[in-house]
Amino acid sequence: MKLAKQNGENWQYELNAVEADLLKQLLKNFPFTGHVPVKISKVNADSNSIEREKLLNESLAEHRKELKKQANNLIAAKKFNPSEKAHLLTLNAKERETLLQILNDIRVGCWRALGEPETTELHKPDCSAQELARHQLMNLAGYFEHHLIGLTERETGRH
Amino acid sequence: MSSVVEPVTLPKPVIKKTPKSDDDLAPTFYVVCWNDPVNLMVYVTHVFMKIFGWNKQKAEKHMMEVHEKGKSVLVREGAEKAEFYVHQLQNYKLHATMELAE
Repeated sequence: MKLAKQNGENWQYELNAVEADLLKQLLKNFPFTGHVPVKISKVNADSNSIEREKLLNESLAEHRKELKKQANNLIAAKKFNPSEKAHLLTLNAKERETLLQILNDIRVGCWRALGEPETTELHKPDCSAQELARHQLMNLAGYFEHHLIGLTERETGRH
Repeated sequence: MSSVVEPVTLPKPVIKKTPKSDDDLAPTFYVVCWNDPVNLMVYVTHVFMKIFGWNKQKAEKHMMEVHEKGKSVLVREGAEKAEFYVHQLQNYKLHATMELAE
């Protein structure tokens, strides 16, 4: 994955056929894991905190639905265009942020589904097919996140 | 020959107490980001820059604090603002909470 060109707000990324296919599959099948309720405080457990926590989890569930819509939009809007040499993905700043949130949702969701291990390395020799799939999804999402941020930073750092 | 000076008693200073407003009395919260092994360091830095509008240097300082010390206090705010920031950080899937400031 590399940055092909930047045209104002729109950034065009060049992906090879495998990368394009994998990214499309990630978007198409998002979300891969269920919503796991989160705590709003590590210490406080008063009535205000409980109410805040409820609101937070409702808001996160709603946000996830919105991300799902955005994931569908990214595929439907023909953001991926195959060219002779590569697949071109065009994103504006908002779409880039959305894609990053989707990717990290996949990454963190898989990590949680794996039981929140202390390392993201796979050490278990006898892991199940599902564990292996989640592990690979987590790494794949990380791969795209790393490149999206790196390419953006490299380019904005030049100006 | 030195002269003897009579001691002078200074009047006690009068400190005017300004009444505290409701805002002063309202509780404040620390927005804390906790370490985990899954969020990429570049991603955490990116999110801090995005949400708080910090420059890269400040965002990286907090990211490193999370990474090395297990947590970083990002801001201290009133309940509503702290809650807003926690929602934003959690939308990006960072492990963030709000803790009552003493």
